[in-house]
Amino acid sequence: MQWLYLYLPSLQLDSLLHQQACDEACILVHQNQVVQANSQARQLGIALGTGLAAAALLCAQLKVIAYDYKYEQRLLTQLAQRLYQTSATLYLDPPQGLLLQTSDMLKLYAGITEYWQRIQQPLIERGLHYHYASAHSPLAAQVLACAGNDRLLNNIQQANALLTKLPIQRAGLAPKLTQQLERLGLNTLGQAQALPRSALGQRLGQELVTYLQQLEHIQAPAKANYLPPQRFRQGLELLYEIELSTALRFPLRRLLDDLEAFLAPRQLQAAGLNLRLDYRELPAEKVFIGCSGGEYRAQVWLNLAMLRLEQLQLQAPIVAIRLSTRGQHAWAPLSDQLFEPQGGKLTADQLINRLQNKLGSHAVQQVFLRDDHRPERSFYQGHPKIHTAAPNATACLRPSLLLTIPQALHHKPNHQWCVLSGPERIQSGWWDNVSICRDYFIARNPLGQVCWLFRTPAEEWFLHGYFA
Amino acid sequence: MALTQLNQLEQQRLVWRARQVAGPDQRRQSSFYPALDQHLQGGWPQAGLVELACGAIGIGELRLLLPLLAQAESRLQVWINPPAELNGQALAQQGINLSQTLLVRCQNPQHALWSAEQSLTSGCCSHLLLWGPNLTSTQAKRLQVAAKDNQVLMFWLHNQSAPSASALPISARLALTPQATGLNLQIYKSQGQWPQHPCHINMHALWPSLTAQPQPVANNITMLPAQAR
Repeated sequence: MQWLYLYLPSLQLDSLLHQQACDEACILVHQNQVVQANSQARQLGIALGTGLAAAALLCAQLKVIAYDYKYEQRLLTQLAQRLYQTSATLYLDPPQGLLLQTSDMLKLYAGITEYWQRIQQPLIERGLHYHYASAHSPLAAQVLACAGNDRLLNNIQQANALLTKLPIQRAGLAPKLTQQLERLGLNTLGQAQALPRSALGQRLGQELVTYLQQLEHIQAPAKANYLPPQRFRQGLELLYEIELSTALRFPLRRLLDDLEAFLAPRQLQAAGLNLRLDYRELPAEKVFIGCSGGEYRAQVWLNLAMLRLEQLQLQAPIVAIRLSTRGQHAWAPLSDQLFEPQGGKLTADQLINRLQNKLGSHAVQQVFLRDDHRPERSFYQGHPKIHTAAPNATACLRPSLLLTIPQALHHKPNHQWCVLSGPERIQSGWWDNVSICRDYFIARNPLGQVCWLFRTPAEEWFLHGYFA
Repeated sequence: MALTQLNQLEQQRLVWRARQVAGPDQRRQSSFYPALDQHLQGGWPQAGLVELACGAIGIGELRLLLPLLAQAESRLQVWINPPAELNGQALAQQGINLSQTLLVRCQNPQHALWSAEQSLTSGCCSHLLLWGPNLTSTQAKRLQVAAKDNQVLMFWLHNQSAPSASALPISARLALTPQATGLNLQIYKSQGQWPQHPCHINMHALWPSLTAQPQPVANNITMLPAQAR
């Protein structure tokens, strides 16, 4: 079996710097020690492990960011999600490593060079620094990659030759054990391998023996391999705070590109997106962006999201955004309007989405019929659904415009009104406590409006609609 | 001197030149009211913006349009800010396809115009009804161009009794007055046509229970003697 190990020594820093162009010296600090530094910082002489005070002395304009283990894990998972498109069996090795099983995948790709090019692609896109090595066993690949070998080895002899020459300090052993081995005069890994295992085990403990065994152990590690999530959920920490909602376009674009990369290979589309904007101090703002027909393309989502965000007044500067899908379903068949004479730019669904995102979903509606004799309950307004079959309408004459609340008439209609038809009694609704008993008349008032009036048993008159 | 005056009049859009309107698009769609078709020389324009000054709601302005809307092809019909709830039962009864009808409501007049323009330019809309206050000349022009380009017939309805005073660059401008038998129409403007006399629309055939039977014009006018002595 063949294994490839990717080691990403500055995953969090690279990702942060790639999102936002930054040409200052930047370091990540964990427990007062520099854990990741960019090239500008290295040029100033800041090495990993330098204390924060020493680093600050070397450069006054140093940009210091706190190391975040959980965030780095999320980045690693995102990368695994992307690499999963190329390589089927992969294992996360937190905090900064990924282990890929290559032997099965090589059957699919023409050779290791082509396969490696595909693997490199997302790493380059994200501007990550990486080390890699392939070897016969997972641990051997890991040790060689972390030592910075950057070679794809085809056979076991080459790998073993490199391993025997590896200085003991770079073998990835615990510092105490490394020190013990050095004191014994074992300066390379090969020297340790040459000694009898039992003697090593007795003097230096079981840990070293296990390590040496693992180097030769070609089987998969004893942990679950990576499985991609069912739903898209991704976040982005912003290096700079954003105060204008329109400036969210660029970070959002990155997330939406990832969304497209997530949805498109699965032939899925999202019916809506939940966008969470984390304010610096206030509780996060949640924004829903809907798309009734479903969509997966980043550009379309971006246009919809910007319409929605233009309406939004930011309460405080934004430090992070998070995106997840609400409702994923399979792609619908493409447009059925191949021979439509006027080649429209939008489909009906797209128009509805656009209007709803600007005006709110309650502002764009459609009228549906319901089987009820009470006029105000015989129809309702709801979310638009194009291409639905409507039930049959009533056969009685009804006004086209209906007042939401019947308007009381102060005077009984007099001789100036001309009654055209009526009365039509509607008595219904005894079963749900909204019982009505009304005598409806159609009458034309002095203004020429054709009104729909009703009289209650208490002889009160109401205007309920117009035959517009 | 006369020429500058003419230019001024042209800029105020009070004069049109015959060659400006002799464009290719003189197609008309029938309104399903023979009298109106005759007056508008074939019916409503195929595309463009039509202003209907109704005076009050409920005088029959929708009855004027419903036969047209019921015959529409399978593109969307967008109704923006109708003055009351649309009764689905009544519309369905008249043959309107409710699944192709979109109802947009917004408080802000700017949003209403934005929705109208988006619907016009989307290319998936065949008719658009907008209720609203006055349009400025620029707004009317934008809507007119968008409607023409995308083959949409747009009606703008408002409650004034006469079309707005300024000469808007739109396809047609009409004022409606109620009658017992239907509607009286005063055509203030219809692009590419000469001024018309007011016309009467008889709605009794389509809406017998809402309108009175037109009385045949009685032929019993007696001439007064020319000179009474």
